[in-house]
Amino acid sequence: MITQCLSIMRREIFYLWRDKGLRWILIAGPLLGILLFYSTYSRQVLKDIPTAVVDLDRSGSSREIIAQIKNSEDLEIVARPGNFDQLEELIKQGKIVVGVVIPENFAENVLLGRQARVEMILDGSNMVYATGATGALLKITRAAGARAGIKTLVARGVQPDQARNAYQAIVFREEPWFNPTLNYAFFLVVALALNVWQQCCTLAACMNIIGETGLNSWRQVKAAGISRFKLFFCKSLAHIALFMLTVLPVYVLAYAVFNFPLHCSFAVLLLFTLAFAVALHGVGTLASSISRNAVDATRFGMIIALPAFILSGYTWPLEAMPQFIRHAVKILPQTWFFQGFNFLTFKNPGWGFMSDYFLALLIIAVACYGTAALIFKVKEM
Amino acid sequence: MRQVLNIAYYESLHVFKDKIILLLILLVPALYTLLFGAVYFSAVLTDIPLAVVDLDRSGLSREVVAAFKNSPKFKVTGEISTYEGLQEGMKTGAVRAGVVIPENFEKKALLRRGTEVLTVYDASNLIWGYNTRKYALEVINHFSTGRTAAYLAGLGMTEREIKGVLDTVSCNLDVWYNPTYSYTTYLFLGLVMMIIHQICLLGVSLTVTREKDRNSWMQYIGAALPRWKIFLGKCLPYLVINFFNYVLLLWLSARLINVKAGGSMGLIVLLGLLYGVIITSAGFYFSARAPNSLQVTRYVMLLSVPLFIISGYTWPMTHIPGFVEGPARLLPYTWMAEAIRTVTVKNLGFGYVRGAILALSALSVLSVLLAVNFDRRRKPPRAGGPVINSGSGYPQEGP
Repeated sequence: MITQCLSIMRREIFYLWRDKGLRWILIAGPLLGILLFYSTYSRQVLKDIPTAVVDLDRSGSSREIIAQIKNSEDLEIVARPGNFDQLEELIKQGKIVVGVVIPENFAENVLLGRQARVEMILDGSNMVYATGATGALLKITRAAGARAGIKTLVARGVQPDQARNAYQAIVFREEPWFNPTLNYAFFLVVALALNVWQQCCTLAACMNIIGETGLNSWRQVKAAGISRFKLFFCKSLAHIALFMLTVLPVYVLAYAVFNFPLHCSFAVLLLFTLAFAVALHGVGTLASSISRNAVDATRFGMIIALPAFILSGYTWPLEAMPQFIRHAVKILPQTWFFQGFNFLTFKNPGWGFMSDYFLALLIIAVACYGTAALIFKVKEM
Repeated sequence: MRQVLNIAYYESLHVFKDKIILLLILLVPALYTLLFGAVYFSAVLTDIPLAVVDLDRSGLSREVVAAFKNSPKFKVTGEISTYEGLQEGMKTGAVRAGVVIPENFEKKALLRRGTEVLTVYDASNLIWGYNTRKYALEVINHFSTGRTAAYLAGLGMTEREIKGVLDTVSCNLDVWYNPTYSYTTYLFLGLVMMIIHQICLLGVSLTVTREKDRNSWMQYIGAALPRWKIFLGKCLPYLVINFFNYVLLLWLSARLINVKAGGSMGLIVLLGLLYGVIITSAGFYFSARAPNSLQVTRYVMLLSVPLFIISGYTWPMTHIPGFVEGPARLLPYTWMAEAIRTVTVKNLGFGYVRGAILALSALSVLSVLLAVNFDRRRKPPRAGGPVINSGSGYPQEGP
């Protein structure tokens, strides 16, 4: 039994190795993915957002505001246009994202207690920039308002201590949890590489049934009287083992070389990935069972695998999706995997919480393999 | 011209006879668009689950809590009241943000003894993280202004005087192009351009491999037809279908998903045509070089994620290193995604997409030249040993 099983697995590995295209996809795809995404996100944190300042006042007060912008690590002054029109043009050309206009007579107005209005313009078309820049601008706004207000109060005869107290009554401290430096690389690089990995694995899994029944050798296999269950079980074992082998370098690079944070143990992460690999292979096998040929199987599998990352809620959260989508996407193993991966790597909420994710992946696997077996049986008949 | 049309007619017959490819190029793009539209329909994050740990339970602490409760962006959950509960809730995702008010907060605040309110947010997903941070800062700014006004009123200042002090420096934040911070406006058309890219590439990349699979490619390369006629005839149906999809998906995005899609119609059409020519020609070129339909399908399918990420459409080009940016600039998606955003979301004219149009035009010429000069020699399948899927065939059930 074991000898036959090992022979089938060896044969499957040989077949996969001889399939040159698939071989390179499986070996190089996930690795190239993590290297490319790591390079893309090599600056990791969104700082130094390109900013331009139009200082029409050139006073001490205006220089204070400019100093605040300079001191903000989120913003970087890259241009000092002479007027609003030039600033507008820079934003339109996409050369700057934030524009600050300090009007003429700014210092004088502040001194006389007249209203002085600082115009802040933000290009909101890229939300990665926009949400980061807004936070920085809101902080600058509060600090600038407080500074000017204290000056005004003192000018009106209020005691300096009282004036400061008016603006510094309560201090709010912010603390980002689980990813304290708001690091985009930590958040996205491994997940994107795993997205490529699951697509590569889907391509291989889609060959599971049609890769046998679509070849002339299928008659020989049938004539040899090998149990169908044993054949496909052993083939699946070989595939899943290969999937795990291909994900290992990704994890090693991410957690041993690039030193991304990992809050669960490596063994738990591998176990969870194994559960997903089984479920994903089930989906591929199901696609394989309903297809006329290998191309169709690949198309069916990839129609699911391609949008799965967006649907998984890893980036745009599940909670923000309409309820029917939120429920529908739970039939995809990718949803459970990417959600669970985020929880495990950033928070490690414990077995009690993660057991639901393991269970869901196993249920999906059983449902997909079961349906594929049924379809296969019907086709055979 | 008749020869070109004949080839185009037969190519169209292939597409219409293969139900799966027909569904793939006519139905799947619209389905993906509607699916992603449903996913991003809410456009902004609201009702962010927030836990409040009020260890003071004083008048002032209740004011802080009320400030967060009154924000439409947060939804205060009443089930968590301890710091440990907050830690657990953040770990399991039950809450995404928290406010912790320490003991003796009011007393220390009144005596100016240095006390602080802690606001925490979940940064494991940076869409949660950055948005929550922004919303919390808005609440804090609003609350602080109210506190200052109350303090000044306590000093005996009139409402007008207080307003004068508070408005001494007013910072007006004007958000251009996407004032509601809509994720749909930001992301959606980029996804639509990728759907068009992939589906068109997937369709057209089978045009030659299909003939190779059936051993009928010989008839084309052996016929007394110039290369350009074969190329044009084979690609014409895909050019038409691709442009149809482009128009349909933009219309669906604007009408059903309420994506901001303004701008010059002429520019939108020009960009669509250039984009279509590049993808179709590139698809034909890949198809002419690939051994069979299976291999080309596999490679094409894997392109979407890397192309999208390195394009600078989400993570900005200013923060992408040069050695990634360089190759990204050779890809049509990079230029198209940025140009379509400039035209439709920013509503800017030709002058602002001149560079993208030039780049797309150059890529069009290059891809057409590559495709037209396809190799007419047919390499025989390699002899010796089992060649599984890299050969001229791939597993398929008999008729």
